[in-house]
Amino acid sequence: MASIMRPSLLRQTALAAKPAFRNNAIKAAAFHTSTQRSAILPPGPQRIEGTVNDPAPIPIPNATQGSYHWTFERLLAAGLVPLTIAPFAAGSLNPTTDAILCSAVLLHSHIGFQSVIIDYIPTRTYPGLRKFFWWGLNLATVTVGVGLYEFETNDVGVTEAIKRLWKA
Amino acid sequence: MAALRSSSRILSSSRAAFRPSAVFSRSMASVSETEQPRIKSFQIYRWNPDTPTEKPRLQTYSIDLNKTGPMILDALIKIKNEQDPSLTFRRSCREGICGSCAMNINGQNTLACLCRIPTESASDVKIYPLPHTYVVKDLVPDLTHFYKQYKSIQPYLQRDTPAEDGKEYRQSKADRKKLDGLYECILCACCSTSCPSYWWNSEEYLGPAILLQSYRWLVDSRDERTAERKAKLENSMSLYRCHTILNCTRACPKGLNPGKAIAEIKKQMSIGA
Amino acid sequence: MIAQRLGLAAMRSATKPNAFFSQNIPRMVLASAMSTSQARSISTQKLTPEEGQQILVKQRLDRPVSPNLGIYKMEQTWFGASAWTRITGCALSGAAYVYFTAYLASPLLGFHIESAALASGFAALPFVVKGAIKFALAFPFTFHFINGIKHLVYDLGIGFAKAQIKRGEIALWISSIIGGGYLAFGL
Repeated sequence: MASIMRPSLLRQTALAAKPAFRNNAIKAAAFHTSTQRSAILPPGPQRIEGTVNDPAPIPIPNATQGSYHWTFERLLAAGLVPLTIAPFAAGSLNPTTDAILCSAVLLHSHIGFQSVIIDYIPTRTYPGLRKFFWWGLNLATVTVGVGLYEFETNDVGVTEAIKRLWKA
Repeated sequence: MAALRSSSRILSSSRAAFRPSAVFSRSMASVSETEQPRIKSFQIYRWNPDTPTEKPRLQTYSIDLNKTGPMILDALIKIKNEQDPSLTFRRSCREGICGSCAMNINGQNTLACLCRIPTESASDVKIYPLPHTYVVKDLVPDLTHFYKQYKSIQPYLQRDTPAEDGKEYRQSKADRKKLDGLYECILCACCSTSCPSYWWNSEEYLGPAILLQSYRWLVDSRDERTAERKAKLENSMSLYRCHTILNCTRACPKGLNPGKAIAEIKKQMSIGA
Repeated sequence: MIAQRLGLAAMRSATKPNAFFSQNIPRMVLASAMSTSQARSISTQKLTPEEGQQILVKQRLDRPVSPNLGIYKMEQTWFGASAWTRITGCALSGAAYVYFTAYLASPLLGFHIESAALASGFAALPFVVKGAIKFALAFPFTFHFINGIKHLVYDLGIGFAKAQIKRGEIALWISSIIGGGYLAFGL
């Protein structure tokens, strides 16, 4: 089709032939979602560093934030699988295993929250807010760690407590 | 028209080059004469840089599917030719090898030239530019940063030792096989712009397409800069913003698997192999 | 159609030496029937590369961001398994963070949320409320647990075929809802 009729000629004949059709068929609808700037996590106006021929900058290599971090995270998660199944199999756990489970879950949660902060509060757009949440999370994790210690020493232990609550 | 047709038949018998077009025009004419028009509406994202204060909007176009080719790109070209020449989109090869016509069709990133116009439902087809990109005009996204990221991974063979036979860098069949499913990538950006992680952190996270290319050079047995290439990914942003959401694998119009490529990179980085 | 083609070919051959003219014939012929904007005269302006760059930089600032979460396929965004792993994980960990912080602060603030007090309070609730609370805790747990294992398998490089992904996603939702229901009402 395109090869038979050059677009320029076809388009113009079509326009000339039926202007009424054109007006009727095209309905402009106002856009329903806000798109001038993305509503969630607005990226701000477009700025490009350097010319179009420069490569994007590469962050400074740091394995503790890279592969070591990833490997540790996965090993921790894999270790949590038997640890979470154990209380179901054994009824509840002795204080040592309970403490291991709790600290592993706490670390796992901390890494998970960190990941959320890195994703949604980027340093490049909200440096202050990022710092606030980062240290806020550290503080919260320490507080919860102390709370867990108190709970383990003064109360019945986490797995036993959940069991009692569940059977209540 | 009948007179014309007979004359065209004479023409086609004398000149072979004319035949395909003559046959095509005849079949088109018979279809449009006999069948009911099948009207389909297309809602298309519009934004004009000449009037930047105007908000982007959806504009509806209706066309008869009997007079349109089977693909979304055919419909777009028909709309541009016959209804609205100001509708702007990229296209080139119309056969899924150039990657120009990548866009979001009915909520899924794909190539317009490889996507059939859905005929089973009567609902409108919604066409947007690639998600979370800066729009140049209508369906044209700005991919400058995407290409800059591609450049940053040095997508070319790097080695210091000369070839053994002084002629070419040889590779075993098994090593060559590792590149299958990687070298076919056409960098259409369908996968990268389907990834929520890339939406939120496209400045620093490389995204599935570039990481697939990164892996393509990491596994190439002829490349000798594997360690340097890996070191570039050793940070929290470039690679590790991938959370295995797998929208990339679902989106790839070429049937490649960026999700798996990224998983292989992570595995290699972890084991140190 | 053939007539048009022949006409165009004739027009072309007649004006072959002047490429610009042949390209613009249809536009000129039809200009009277069209809106005037099509026939405007073009004025050009000489710019240095730097000035051109400045125009581009200014244009970039005006560009809108194309819609994303609002238009992408729901099952890949709002109902994506990966997103829900994060949501369920954050909900469970968030609840735990709140509880243990409150536990630490409870002696100072003078309220009782020790396990014994909680258990007796919980026992007093009607069955439906108990079940709902249990399910609200058990479903996120089973979902996060099952999809967590699925992601660990992904990290080994297994299970990336499109069909496997699809089946896995369905299996995940069914098994986690059933598992959550069992933990809430079966135990």
